[in-house]
Amino acid sequence: MIIRRISHFLCNYENIMPLFAGACMFLFMAGILLLPIQYSDSQLYPKTIDRNSTLDPYDRGGPPFTQVTIADQYPDNSPTAGLVTSFLTPFSLWLSQVTHHMGTTIVAHPGGIIDEILYNTRGLDTVVEATILFVAFAIASYIFRKV
Amino acid sequence: MADFIGGLPYYILEFGDELVYFTPYTITLFLLALAFTLLAIISRPERQMDIAFGGDAYRTKDISISEMRFRRFMAIACGLASMGAMVTGDIFNFTLFTAMVGITNVGIVAAVKSPHVQDAAYQYGLVALSATVPLFAGAAVYAAATGSLSMIELMKGTLPAVPLVAKAMLVTGVVGEGMAPFYAAKAEMFRAPGAPYVIMCSLSSLLIFLRVVEVVMLG
Repeated sequence: MIIRRISHFLCNYENIMPLFAGACMFLFMAGILLLPIQYSDSQLYPKTIDRNSTLDPYDRGGPPFTQVTIADQYPDNSPTAGLVTSFLTPFSLWLSQVTHHMGTTIVAHPGGIIDEILYNTRGLDTVVEATILFVAFAIASYIFRKV
Repeated sequence: MADFIGGLPYYILEFGDELVYFTPYTITLFLLALAFTLLAIISRPERQMDIAFGGDAYRTKDISISEMRFRRFMAIACGLASMGAMVTGDIFNFTLFTAMVGITNVGIVAAVKSPHVQDAAYQYGLVALSATVPLFAGAAVYAAATGSLSMIELMKGTLPAVPLVAKAMLVTGVVGEGMAPFYAAKAEMFRAPGAPYVIMCSLSSLLIFLRVVEVVMLG
């Protein structure tokens, strides 16, 4: 009987969104109540932020064109990790020196510096993220053209 | 050695910091997704038939070629995302693949030219959109609390325990992306003609739900 009522409530698809939002709200409230969560000291991808750097917030330190050691989970799998840490072309190096933030943008770097860092250690992340974006564009353009 | 839940892996593919591992459990789910993707590629869409009661009148709902192509494309993308989610050994990659399953599911149903189906797809899209918040928040808490995103590291048991709220967030996110318990609402979308593609929504959400069960049992 109760199942029939629940299922009757759920069969109206307009009830799904408020229900899910309510569930998320309870979850986040429980999350706040369960604080503090112990923060792991040995972070996988540690990062220091230098606000004065022209490459802020993507600066991983170290001079361009030299290898910088970056922490990763399986160093054996990506022996060249860190070689791309300061992967700047001469143009983007110049741009990052004369402007404050342009060095981090797509103007200096197709795909941005963060991708260059990530490609070596976490290659699939950037690929799937871009794929999600393209799928979303495909859906939007199909629906837009159809109307 | 790590305590693998789905059996010992046959093969571990090293992909930088992301390990893709094939245990008996994940390879079963992977092959299921692969087989259904192949079916979606080779099969023709069904053509629904409306029959008027008390008369001989009937009509077949026609599916245009462009619509069929688009939905087949979305079904294949959904299959690829499911396959990735089945075998990945990385928490963040799993959440990314799950988000992709959610958005391709919306794409499969949103291409149908029926206001009723599109209304349902819109509500479903809103749920999938909001589900990304707990999904990626869960992955973030995993990384912050344990310091690792690799499932194999989590299985070793040397890392700090994963907080319960992170697991709950991950499951809530997958529920929202895959609409797992809301099949009653999904039935509205199943009115959309074109059988193999719509079943792909259902199968992919089932698969990612089966996988997240394994994921929350780690660490």
